[in-house]
Amino acid sequence: MLKDSTQALLGLRVIEFTAGMAGPWIGRFMAHCGAEVIKVESIKRPDVTRLFIPPSDPDGGVQAQASPWFTDWNAGKRFISLDLTHPQATPLAKKLVAQSDIVIENYATGVMEKLGLDEESLQQVKPDLIHFRTNGYGHSGPDRHHIAWGPNIEAISGLAYLSGFRERDCSMTQYAYPDPASALHGLFVILCALEHRRKTGEGQVISLAQVEATISCFGNTLMEQLGNGKPPAKLGNRSLWDSPQGCYPCRGQDRWCAITIANQEQWARLCELLKKPEWAQDPRFQSASMRAEHHDLIDAAIEAWTVSRDVFEVMEILQDTEIAAGVVQTTEDQFQRDPHLAERNYFEEIPHQTKGSVIAPGIPLGLTATPGRTSDAGAAVGRDNAYVLEEIMGLSEEEISQLTKAGAIEDPNLKTTV
Amino acid sequence: MKATTPTLQQSLSSMPQALSGRRVLDLSDEKGVYCTKLFADMGADVIKIEPPGGARERWFPPFWKDEPDEDRSLFFLYMNTNKRGVTLDLFHPSGKELFLRLAKEADLIVDTSLPGTLDHLGLGFETLQTQHPEVVLTSITGFGQTGPHRHYDTSDLVSNAMGGSLHVVGEESDPPVSLAGSQAYVMASTTAAASSMIALLNASSSGRGQHVDISIQESVLAVTSIAGVGKWLDDGIVPKRYGSALFASVPSGAYPCRDGKIYLMINRPLHWKALADWIHEVTGNNEVLDPMFHGPSSIRQPYRELLDLFISELTQGFSVEEFYREGQRRHLSVSPINTAETVSRDAHLAARHFFVKPENAAAEELTYPGAPYQLEKTPWRLQRTAPRLGQHNAEIYCDELGLSLDQLFEYQNMGVV
Repeated sequence: MLKDSTQALLGLRVIEFTAGMAGPWIGRFMAHCGAEVIKVESIKRPDVTRLFIPPSDPDGGVQAQASPWFTDWNAGKRFISLDLTHPQATPLAKKLVAQSDIVIENYATGVMEKLGLDEESLQQVKPDLIHFRTNGYGHSGPDRHHIAWGPNIEAISGLAYLSGFRERDCSMTQYAYPDPASALHGLFVILCALEHRRKTGEGQVISLAQVEATISCFGNTLMEQLGNGKPPAKLGNRSLWDSPQGCYPCRGQDRWCAITIANQEQWARLCELLKKPEWAQDPRFQSASMRAEHHDLIDAAIEAWTVSRDVFEVMEILQDTEIAAGVVQTTEDQFQRDPHLAERNYFEEIPHQTKGSVIAPGIPLGLTATPGRTSDAGAAVGRDNAYVLEEIMGLSEEEISQLTKAGAIEDPNLKTTV
Repeated sequence: MKATTPTLQQSLSSMPQALSGRRVLDLSDEKGVYCTKLFADMGADVIKIEPPGGARERWFPPFWKDEPDEDRSLFFLYMNTNKRGVTLDLFHPSGKELFLRLAKEADLIVDTSLPGTLDHLGLGFETLQTQHPEVVLTSITGFGQTGPHRHYDTSDLVSNAMGGSLHVVGEESDPPVSLAGSQAYVMASTTAAASSMIALLNASSSGRGQHVDISIQESVLAVTSIAGVGKWLDDGIVPKRYGSALFASVPSGAYPCRDGKIYLMINRPLHWKALADWIHEVTGNNEVLDPMFHGPSSIRQPYRELLDLFISELTQGFSVEEFYREGQRRHLSVSPINTAETVSRDAHLAARHFFVKPENAAAEELTYPGAPYQLEKTPWRLQRTAPRLGQHNAEIYCDELGLSLDQLFEYQNMGVV
């Protein structure tokens, strides 16, 4: 077979026992780079992101392949339907793992063990397996059986409390930050394990507790507590080393421009723009820490300048003088008004089995020599049963029909019930 | 809080690390410092190259024990664990020559200067690849190497703005707001680390390295995809700030207990049923059992406010700790909203030895947030603390590159190192 040199992970096979984002998003990246990623699911207990009723069809009920999250995070994969609670499904899953390189799993602690797919059993059938496992609290420790979604991890990690404005007791994202943050850490550590396998032939088990990966992301903030025994300051949009910094209101409703002054030269140029040239030499404003002491006063002057201007104009004026400034963009801005993202062809249009195509955020790996590509959007449970069961695993039609009758393999046409 | 026990440390020290044998040259500023930390903590030999005056991050407050010093910035100490450090002036001809000698032995070079800067110095990817075909150059910049904004200046806040994070964090009535730390840089750094690993593995099999072009804006866009383009094109609602609830999940959010707030989120139909039963059991509410609320989150989208009321009637009767334990006992996704103080003494994290001191450290040494992942055979390790300015100049330039001590002194006098 000819090696497609534009896909760096071609030749790797990955088996997913996943749901949500933290697990599936890893496979999404790997599939984009050429790995064959096979997602094992049950129609009776599908990936939670399939449980979505499209607003365009509110009475249509759950449509297992319509969710914009599912079609994105599971793009480029193969889908098979096994009822893993069936005793005859366990050997099938193991047989598949035996023919693969990597397992990605993000079920609650204890589920894989109950299914007979524990670490030892998988290692037995595939001694050099890289077995990656992730969940909220990890697989050891007193709270290992606790369940958590991404936003819960924002809360327990301390991120929600430490973020945002001082007067708020927690500030949350609309994007379940710990999910994608954990997935990116997971992708990196799996690749590290591949490097170890390349050198030694050894596989291994990797466990990622999402609360720990999340803390790692703001570990520097937590150091104030660990090193000095003091609660870190809640900064809102301010910085301890760049000042002034903030989001400033512009013309129109809910329009804001983020601005950061990182050195004395930028400060002087900002003072010119604000028509306050005397501030450039003002002894009160000669360093970031001094300006921070008068932050409210400076903010008022910046706001007076931004408030009547168009937000894109504000960004362009400031960037023209080499000051870091950026529109607080909505997804609509990014998709329709950002000439830079358009020129870089950032958004990806991916073929979809029933919708024709879907638009998804691009895979930002920036591999210029091996850019990768996405074949098709996340599809129905069991779509690839024939390919996986017959071509990869070598089951006969008779075996498949017998295992389907027994219920170990689920008929892909089985109606989804939730 | 408990640091790693001596026995655990002894067993760690006999174990290999996944990236041992890989050498990384780190030219990055705060945009890429977490990328090279990820490499160093997994055993790569990361050489942090600072200008002779020192990296800007050395003066990022706060400082350990509040003593301002170039070696005591808590940001710097956290972000540069396990790295070695040298000083080098890349603008000086002799500095360039030394850099190219180092780059011949390097697998990966991480840079965060504006597009074109390395080319301008005569140290661009083509030059690096000509002398060492397998080398990978990873550039982490605000907007990437191409496109009309490639020369735009950025900051973590600006990247979060342009990437779509700020618009969807915090309360609807507040201005957009940033997360703690520098999450745009951290996400770009983690993406860069993964991408660099793919490029390194590919270089080992193909014999060719490549230039990796990481745009911080694009990393943030990918990370925020739950509130991104796919959802908007599907439901026609532009995501915005939505308080403590997650728009897609009903119910979700922070609810009042007697002594603070608890975070709760429901997605799966079974979890909703468990919560509805609990509400009914404690408050006698019958309405909550109505079948019209049963199913996945999107079926409850029209009833969010009503359900929030029902839930608050339940949570108000509990302390945070009581509700957390009882909620989890019922397999509900319930969590306390930890502060820095409560997370640093969390019993679960302590039992997992998450917070660690450097191996062989004195008792008074700093404690660090530890491994983001646990590997069975090639563990994450904290072997050495961040380098002092120029700490490894002699070791790297003389012992490894073969300069004489006299030459090193001369370079020092010339301001090259």
